[in-house]
Amino acid sequence: MASHATTEHTLAPGEIAKPNTGWIWKTFFVLVGITAVEFVFVFLMHPSTLRNSIFIVLTILKAFFIVGEFMHLKHETKGLIWTILIPMSLLVWLLVALVTEGSFIGEVLQNMFK
Amino acid sequence: MAQSTTLQSPTAPATHDAPRTGTWDGGNEPFKASYGKLMMWFFLLSDAFTFAAFLTTYGMIRHKHEVFTGEAKDFVFSTRWWPIPDHVFNAFPGMGEANVPLGFVALMTMILILSSVTMVLAVEAGQRMDKADVQKWLLWTILFGSTFLLSQAWEWSHFIHGHTEGTVMADGTVFHGANLAMNQYGPVLFADLFFFITGFHGTHVFSGVCLLVWCFIATTNGTFEKRGHYEMIEKIGLYWHFVDLVWVFVFTFFYLV
Repeated sequence: MASHATTEHTLAPGEIAKPNTGWIWKTFFVLVGITAVEFVFVFLMHPSTLRNSIFIVLTILKAFFIVGEFMHLKHETKGLIWTILIPMSLLVWLLVALVTEGSFIGEVLQNMFK
Repeated sequence: MAQSTTLQSPTAPATHDAPRTGTWDGGNEPFKASYGKLMMWFFLLSDAFTFAAFLTTYGMIRHKHEVFTGEAKDFVFSTRWWPIPDHVFNAFPGMGEANVPLGFVALMTMILILSSVTMVLAVEAGQRMDKADVQKWLLWTILFGSTFLLSQAWEWSHFIHGHTEGTVMADGTVFHGANLAMNQYGPVLFADLFFFITGFHGTHVFSGVCLLVWCFIATTNGTFEKRGHYEMIEKIGLYWHFVDLVWVFVFTFFYLV
């Protein structure tokens, strides 16, 4: 497993390495920043497909930072990365398919007696 | 179970067979991840299927319902159309009837992201075998996790009791709040999905807090110190980040879109 902490000198027995937390706080500020941008869009834009698309793109961006950095997936082997990503990408297909289906059912129900 | 000769220490006499190190001889780690971490990843993948099923159901049912097409300021709650989230979730603890659209949920999101940060800090401290730091960051994570749970309890309570004005129902009576069969905000399924999705997520947070408390006790007792590694913190950490990740999606699909 690749590690963020690269200790240059060998530690004496009982000695504790210095914390290496810069990347953690950097990721935190990126996540807070993206959430803040989402709130700007909630209040400055009228609801539309474009606004929803922006939200979904920003959400996936946040997921990338949480899974990649915090869950360390970015630094795992390629095999593990694909094991997680391929099943998840199939779920996106399911989501798109059922949302389309929902719109169609709604249209049929709302126009049934017209 | 009988000890296999391949498990003897390297200092054993040279007359013994050399340890077997082939692909199928055991001791190998697929994907260079330990057994525990790999299994946690697979569990989380299966858990992601469950949450994806919930959110897909939400998307399908929401698209089945009519959309309110007028100006946002003219919006009124009705079972005819799906509610606009910032009209439903606009209360803040201690501010009475003040209109704070999505204010409280923004705070909850921040608390959960912060708890994820303190969790990585605990994992990082564990990799350095720094017991005091692990304890400190675990306590912060438990604090933020519990705060999130309490916030959710408040959010549920407010959702159940409803806004003061309520909504006039078909029979002329005014209905406040929500239950599984009726609600003032919109179609029945809106409240049902709220209870099920945020409830299922909240249950995950609660399990996470329990696991973290156990980790804190084990750290304090020196269990991981004696074991020589803090991998358990990393595994629980994976679970905790997953719970944060799910909230990011719930936040987008329930509160923003």
